[in-house]
Amino acid sequence: MPVDMNVAQAFMEQVQEMGKMEVPSKLSDQERVETAKQVIRDGINAQLAIDLEACVHCGLCAEACHFYLASKDPKHTPIRKLDLMKRMYRRERSPARWLYRLFVKDVTIDDLNEWEELVYDSCTVCMRCSLICPMGINIGGGVAVMRAAMRTADLMPVEMRLVGQEQAEKGTIFGVGSEQFVQTLEELRKTGLKIPLDEPEADILVLSAVTDIVLFKDTLVSTIKIMNHIGAKWTFSSQGYESANFGYMTGDQEWQCAASKRVYDAAVACGAKTVIVAECGHSYPTLRWAGAELMGKPLPFEVLAPSEFLGREIQAGRLKVKPIGKQAKFTFHDPCKIGRIGGVVDAPRVVLDALGVDLTETEPHGVENLCCGGGGGNFLITRALPLRLKVFELKMKQFDDTGAEEVVTSCDSCMMNIMAGTMAHQWPKPTHSLMDLVGHHLA
Amino acid sequence: MKTGTTVNRHATRQSTTWLLPVVWLLLTICGTAVAEEQGGGAVPNPGIELWRAVREGPPPGVSRSQVEGIGMTTLIAEGGERWRQLRSNYVAPWGGWALVGMLGVLTLFHLVRKSPERFDGSSGKVIVRFPDYDRILHWFMAGTFLFLAISGLILLLGRYVILPLVGPQAFGAIASASKEGHNLFGPVFIVSLTLFVLRFAQRNFFARGDLAWLAKGGGMLSGKHVSAGFFNAGEKILFWSITFGGLAISISGLILVFPLFGQSRELMQLMLLVHGIAALVLIAFTFGHMYLGSIGLPGSFNAMNTGKVDADWAHAHHDRWHREAEEKGLIEKAPS
Amino acid sequence: METIAAFLEGPFWYFSAAVFVVGVVGRLALALSLGSSKSLSVPRGSASAGAVRAVFSRFVPRRDFYRRIRLEVIAGYAFHVGLFVLLFFAAPHVEFYKEYILGFGWPTMPRWAFIVVSEIAFAGLIVLWLRRLLHPVSRKLSDAGDHIGSILIFFVMLTGCLALGEDHESLRLIHLFLAQLLLIYFPFSSLMHTFTFVFSRGYIGAGFAHHGVKA
Repeated sequence: MPVDMNVAQAFMEQVQEMGKMEVPSKLSDQERVETAKQVIRDGINAQLAIDLEACVHCGLCAEACHFYLASKDPKHTPIRKLDLMKRMYRRERSPARWLYRLFVKDVTIDDLNEWEELVYDSCTVCMRCSLICPMGINIGGGVAVMRAAMRTADLMPVEMRLVGQEQAEKGTIFGVGSEQFVQTLEELRKTGLKIPLDEPEADILVLSAVTDIVLFKDTLVSTIKIMNHIGAKWTFSSQGYESANFGYMTGDQEWQCAASKRVYDAAVACGAKTVIVAECGHSYPTLRWAGAELMGKPLPFEVLAPSEFLGREIQAGRLKVKPIGKQAKFTFHDPCKIGRIGGVVDAPRVVLDALGVDLTETEPHGVENLCCGGGGGNFLITRALPLRLKVFELKMKQFDDTGAEEVVTSCDSCMMNIMAGTMAHQWPKPTHSLMDLVGHHLA
Repeated sequence: MKTGTTVNRHATRQSTTWLLPVVWLLLTICGTAVAEEQGGGAVPNPGIELWRAVREGPPPGVSRSQVEGIGMTTLIAEGGERWRQLRSNYVAPWGGWALVGMLGVLTLFHLVRKSPERFDGSSGKVIVRFPDYDRILHWFMAGTFLFLAISGLILLLGRYVILPLVGPQAFGAIASASKEGHNLFGPVFIVSLTLFVLRFAQRNFFARGDLAWLAKGGGMLSGKHVSAGFFNAGEKILFWSITFGGLAISISGLILVFPLFGQSRELMQLMLLVHGIAALVLIAFTFGHMYLGSIGLPGSFNAMNTGKVDADWAHAHHDRWHREAEEKGLIEKAPS
Repeated sequence: METIAAFLEGPFWYFSAAVFVVGVVGRLALALSLGSSKSLSVPRGSASAGAVRAVFSRFVPRRDFYRRIRLEVIAGYAFHVGLFVLLFFAAPHVEFYKEYILGFGWPTMPRWAFIVVSEIAFAGLIVLWLRRLLHPVSRKLSDAGDHIGSILIFFVMLTGCLALGEDHESLRLIHLFLAQLLLIYFPFSSLMHTFTFVFSRGYIGAGFAHHGVKA
């Protein structure tokens, strides 16, 4: 059940190699500044404008941010990540811009360089800061605009840039494309698994993710087993199978749109009423919440997160599981993209309850849960690893405080990040994917 | 317009003042009449008995007044004059000059001492001395104390120092503002003092080594550092002075500002003296504290500014604390 | 004194009030006019209910956060509630509103209550401002505008309390003048949060509620 550490090590080394590459930009510094400013300016909508007007610089958001809590460095204060946006707003969009221009400095290339680390390396867009803010400022939304600006200015961590470009241009991630996906399925079929692929008609389209193909193959197998177990009319699609969307993480709308469109077309082609994304945190909000906006119309199918799907099937009585028993103590880590942003909090508890495990919640958990530090594409950034490991110390303490011996989560990014932390800190507790846990305990 | 009330009050005062000579005249006539009736110019001042009786006041429970209240049956508050003289002739000038003297001593000390060691952060290491909450509390109390000290000094010395400079009209406004502000901020100071004492008391209990520190005068004269823990004996003395001096100021202040609980005039007069003297002493101490916390000992101000002090500073001034921090691994790299 | 009073209660009062009203309304209107795209995804909860909910629920921090920000919450409430009560229930203020703005008044608090409330408000404000100065996070975030705002409010409150004796016209005029400066400064500063907080909380509450999260 646990991941093959050799495979994991090899995968991480592959990512680290990427981090060493140099990808020169065609843009001059002047062009970078101009294009970034343009994107920021256009990205300020009414909500962000009101937010920037409402901020009193109290800095309470820092107390919610796992990066600040780990580093205690004031530069990691969430709202400070929108400082350039605030300056742009004051100088160019605020009604008092004639006055502000006298005091507020213009955005420079040095600022942008400095902010690259702030909006990518030290932010997972987990939205926890928006829960503590007395004004309710949407800092995550602002960071998304900042990321879009940085992306157009070719100022983002090289790993994210390479992977994003690869997905947009070749349709592959880490060299894994449709061909490799089909190949993996063929291999699995040899083990006797019945795997529907490219069915012309299906009720449910199930997605996979590069991480499940490369790293967490057990989760993929479990997914297939579960789908067959409930007897649904389901299919994979060789064209629209990828959950991961690096356009969403990097802030590139074109990339994001291209990736979402593939899934959308596949779902429409087979007439699916339901699309289940893989356990790939960000893929859920990408499709569930942002998908309709990208397509310009409401989606003709519903989008479910794996835990949401499992919970629903258990409650409907279609999915039956063998109890694991109370001998092992578990705790559950709510992935930020699925819990706080996705709104799926109860479903995984329904599943764990059905599995009969001894569950102790971390403090806090659910909507308030502390992000693992790997979300938003952060797990890819090699240079951010030291900070990420510091964040993981907070998580480790949280997990240890529950007294649990095993951790369950439902997100590949979280899995990978916890794995990296486990390796670095020699932390002995195994982490499971919820999907995989269910797949191994089907009645 | 608010000036109306002022005018009216002046008017009332003027309308009653003419009564005084009339009363005096009446008393004089009565006195003379009585003396003449007793016959003989041998008695030098027959009114003396009357005045003595008036000064001493009636025995308790004998006299009544239509106006109910404390001391309403007293015609002349004899103690008031003595108190006034004590305050104007002793407390105010001596207190004022004592503060000036304190400043002078500090200036002189600063000029003659050999220049103190500077800690420019070359160690590259810092220790957290006062976390955020400690610093907020310190400045909360310091801020209210400073405001109360200034407004209080205006009330005590303003008529000698400020009145001649700005004239009676402006000084009237300044004094009124000082009085209102002083009364208002008093209770805020009590809150800050309470929180401060609760937070810092534990670290200020006297311990071994404090006597040795005191015996060497903290090394102020020799210029050699004396071994000390988190707080040295001088700081501890300041702390307990503030605690008990502050307590005296607080209690006396409350008695003065809420004359609602039957406290007598004598008690209030006494409290005013306690209040003023304790405050003057604390202000003088504060001058020394401010000097030592800033230019007197370079590097000290960081403790209450950023909360982090240079590790070398800590080693020089608080070696035992420095060692503890070292053992606990609390010495950090200085932020770049 | 007479001419100063006439100026402060006449033209300067109208000027400062106009800057305040036009500034606040204009700044809000222009920010809101930037518009937001309408969400097309199927909601999991009512956005408008979430908006209303967040405006009120944000008055109470979540338990896990409260443990970390106790001082800020207590000082914040002391200052804000205190200031609100002073602004609307201090006798001289109600008298001013009656005479210069509304034409009617309402019951006011007794003098002792005024003093107690202003002490609470002062304690809160001083602690909040010191926190702004001393906490490394807010120290780095704060700009001159924030400090000007804090200091201006402090002196407006202070001069108001120094004028408590109500026996010197000059003290009252200083208070009035500083209050008018505050009115002029208001729409150019983060004091705007007095009004924008309703909208920003509403937006975030709506966004989270759309996703089925109570924020």
